[in-house]
Amino acid sequence: MISDPWTDKLSEYLDGELSESERLAMERHLVACPACTTALAALLRVVERARTLPDRPPARDLWTGIANRIAETPSRSEELRTRSWRWTFGIPQLVAAALAIAVVSGGGVWLTVRQPAVPATAGGAAPAAAPLTTPILPAVAGEARYDAAVADLQRVLDAGRGTLDTTTVRIIEKNLAVIDRAIADARRALAADPGNAYLNAYLARTMRRKIDILRQAATIVVSRS
Amino acid sequence: MATLALGAAALQRDHAIDRNDADAVEAALAASGDASAFERLYRTHVARIHSLVRRMLDDQDADDVTQDVFVRAWQKLGTYRGEAAFATWLYRLAVNVILGRRQQLGQRRERFLPDDTALEVVPGRSRSPELSLDFETAIARLPDGARQVFVMHDVEGYRHEEIASLLGLAVGTSKSQLHRARMALRRHLNG
Repeated sequence: MISDPWTDKLSEYLDGELSESERLAMERHLVACPACTTALAALLRVVERARTLPDRPPARDLWTGIANRIAETPSRSEELRTRSWRWTFGIPQLVAAALAIAVVSGGGVWLTVRQPAVPATAGGAAPAAAPLTTPILPAVAGEARYDAAVADLQRVLDAGRGTLDTTTVRIIEKNLAVIDRAIADARRALAADPGNAYLNAYLARTMRRKIDILRQAATIVVSRS
Repeated sequence: MATLALGAAALQRDHAIDRNDADAVEAALAASGDASAFERLYRTHVARIHSLVRRMLDDQDADDVTQDVFVRAWQKLGTYRGEAAFATWLYRLAVNVILGRRQQLGQRRERFLPDDTALEVVPGRSRSPELSLDFETAIARLPDGARQVFVMHDVEGYRHEEIASLLGLAVGTSKSQLHRARMALRRHLNG
């Protein structure tokens, strides 16, 4: 193998760890040394291959062994009861925060949903569609208000569902199902650890996301009207 | 139609539940004793952890140590508060378990590449079409210390200062072992 002061510094050069003067000296050397240039290219390929190595699961499922061992671990409930609470945010406060953020970001937008056009009469005159207005985000806090806002948006979506293509409906329903599952999981986790700041913030974010999805879906409905 | 396509695409893109958030919720559920939630975390992260163990130690111990990592994670879940991504927290725990096992095994094999002749321990590239497996095999044949430095730096992205601290080396030793490991492995990418 090639081994000289220049070759031994190739990895540090590759990693950008040489001083400025060393780097310049190396670059002058590389211009005149094909062997070192070739070695450098080979080292670069090694690094690139290492960075893109795929992960492989074990040949056999290890879960049974893990499950047996963790089943022997004492219940964590005692540990949870003695854990100190860093935060005491309750759900209503965080829902209020989520709604406040949604109101600010949405600007209290009102959507107009047109009723389906009435077919033309025999005389050829078609009556104008009467617009309906629905407030999207009531500017009042509380979980009950959050539920009311979600229900309002859901009604807008349901009223216009027939105007959407199946792909869009599928995407909306899939996203809502994922969000609802996430909200349920977060609530279950918080029931066991109410003082968990991360979980509280996560629940607030996820509830706001549901509002965003419903608002966006309602916008699509309006655009199709 | 353009508005509809744009809206649907935005729905699909913008509202996917972040993996980190999902992990944090599963971790919280598992911390409260929900083994099903912990199994989901296991299935999400086992490939990454097992690959790390296999590369840092060897195939023979990989399954046992992987199990140790997840059992330790179950025991320590109460300390995870969401400050970092769960994957990051689990990964750091795995490195600690691996280094602890390394000491336990009291590895006696030549740990470092002392001079040029030791580079010959890594045979040249075989004709196997599975280049990644071939390269992994070559990594596995490096002496333990050199392999651990190479895996931690080039595969896992640790800096030399971190590697030196974790492995009990001088930074200069970490750098020289990395270079020698790379020079030994380049034969598997030539030709």
